Amino acid sequence: MSWERWRIPLMLGPTVLIILVLFFGSLGFGFLQSLGFQPQLGNTELNFDAYISVMFSEEHSSRFWAGLLLTFWVAFASTFISAALAIAIALLLRRTFFGKRLAVFLFQLNLPIPHLVIAIGMILVFSQSGLLSRVAGELGLISSPREFPVLVRDSSGIGIILAYVWKEIAFFGIIVMAILQSLGEDYEAAAQSLGANRWQRFRYVTLPLIMPGLMSASIIVFAFTFGTYEVPRILGVRHPEMLPVMALDFFLNPDLNARAEGMALSIIIAVIVLILVLIYMYISARTIRRG
Amino acid sequence: MTHVRINNLTKAYSGVDAPAVADLDLDIPSGRLIALLGPSGCGKTTTLKMIAGLIRPTAGDITFDGDSIVRIPPEKRGAVMVFQNYLLFPYMSVGQNVGFGLKMAGVDPKTIDQRVKEMLNLVRLPDISDRRPKQLSGGQQQRVALARALITKPRVLLLDEPLSNLDAHLRDEMRELILSVQRDLGITTIFVTHDQEEAVLLADRIAMIFDGRLQQFASPDVFYRHPASERIARFLGGVNFLPGKRQGDTVETDVGSFRFAPGGEDERPPEDGLLTIRPEQIVLGQPTAENTVQGRVVSRIFVGTYTRYRLALGSHQIEAVRSADVAGDFAEGQDVPIGFPADRVWMVRPDQAA
Repeated sequence: MSWERWRIPLMLGPTVLIILVLFFGSLGFGFLQSLGFQPQLGNTELNFDAYISVMFSEEHSSRFWAGLLLTFWVAFASTFISAALAIAIALLLRRTFFGKRLAVFLFQLNLPIPHLVIAIGMILVFSQSGLLSRVAGELGLISSPREFPVLVRDSSGIGIILAYVWKEIAFFGIIVMAILQSLGEDYEAAAQSLGANRWQRFRYVTLPLIMPGLMSASIIVFAFTFGTYEVPRILGVRHPEMLPVMALDFFLNPDLNARAEGMALSIIIAVIVLILVLIYMYISARTIRRG
Repeated sequence: MTHVRINNLTKAYSGVDAPAVADLDLDIPSGRLIALLGPSGCGKTTTLKMIAGLIRPTAGDITFDGDSIVRIPPEKRGAVMVFQNYLLFPYMSVGQNVGFGLKMAGVDPKTIDQRVKEMLNLVRLPDISDRRPKQLSGGQQQRVALARALITKPRVLLLDEPLSNLDAHLRDEMRELILSVQRDLGITTIFVTHDQEEAVLLADRIAMIFDGRLQQFASPDVFYRHPASERIARFLGGVNFLPGKRQGDTVETDVGSFRFAPGGEDERPPEDGLLTIRPEQIVLGQPTAENTVQGRVVSRIFVGTYTRYRLALGSHQIEAVRSADVAGDFAEGQDVPIGFPADRVWMVRPDQAA
């Protein structure tokens, strides 16, 4: 009896241990570092200097706040645009047409492609010396590469957003298509029979039905785009730069004292994402309780 | 009150040899309650969805009060469908579900609230406006779905298997509700069912459909007394069939000749077919001047309220049911006079000719 009681906790033990040590251990150590705890440098006093330095010092504050704004903008725009496009494409792909299988395959093709490859692809296609610029030049639309609009390494993060949209649209698509397939079209048929036109069916039936799944996917994409550095490192500019790139710069700084600032920035990113996840969980729980 | 006509309605799917619905003709007078009855896959729901506009016909026409509606989009037809699995929107309250059609039509919220209350009263669920669909029983969900359809004042109400998901008690309640609402509002109503009992209980007239084709369109009473074919008779629970040839109002079989009462003008029995009579219509042990033959009891099963007999009649076997209220019983192996009342005997087309 007592063995049965402990069986499941014991079986879960190794996994829980790995999570505790690797995840919470490193998180805890990172947090200590962000508070200035670096015994190898002789710093054992805990304080919030690194946080204050990152957010309010003359040296870093303008980079931080501009970077925070850009990070929010890129994460929000990438999530919203890819979700909206994925819904539109998934609704189109639900219809029956010649070549549907090929279209679905192409739609999901970039799912296994690494973000890094997508970012480099963006430069090859969308930069001022890229494929589109050359085609535009050949067609006589522009006379020099400089006339081609700056779509990558731009201060508004358009290149980064395009890369994320290109990549995440397939992720959203696979989720939305799965939801639509499981729902079928009966609810929409019922709404249509009750007088709902195409837009009303989408607004009042399809969207609310796919919203829970879409929200979960959105929080994943938002958290990911908020916290990763590869794509903005390749496609972004030095100022403003997204917060994960700024954190990377701190880590790569030969001055080891900058580690604390890097960690503080990473913790800030994590806390922002965590707050957003908690807000999402609160909204979901309330929605589930209601409906 | 809308007069519905269906003319040569056909639905064929590419890659499928047999059409789902073929050359269907129906004339449904205003304010009537009609059942489309048939086994699963016979095309009855396809027909309903074509009337609703949710499936486009391959050929043929549907008219409401003489005007073709096949090119009118479903949301503008005024033919509202109540689905078998109710399809209440799970993220809306009951009140929001019921008011959905009016909201789509741009009716002001105050009027919607008032009409929702009226409709919920009509379906006898006055106090559940704030509940969610998942908090309701199957019967309540069905009523809410009905209220949601009726609030739009449809020209034609379409019900897909309205009683099939309900248990016996709720079926009776729902049947009464549908009948009273339909009579009060006078909405032309077409419903689909595979359950002959459901069709008989609700419908003014029944359209029997097999393999996408209309077999017979008549009142429930005519279906039971004068089915057009062996297949229809069997679908409605008929089990007794004796091959025979008709001469006027008499059928000659190899166990004797039987007179039968002529049917209506559109009920013409075949010359060469099967004599049929329902088991409960057979009279046992009371010899009469006509339509009585001698048989032998092969087996008997006592079921409480009735006894079911298997009877040998020449080289044939038939079944008879005798109510427990009727005095007398017959033992296995006993010879017994078997009466076929003339007004209960009918002649049907055999299956191969159906």
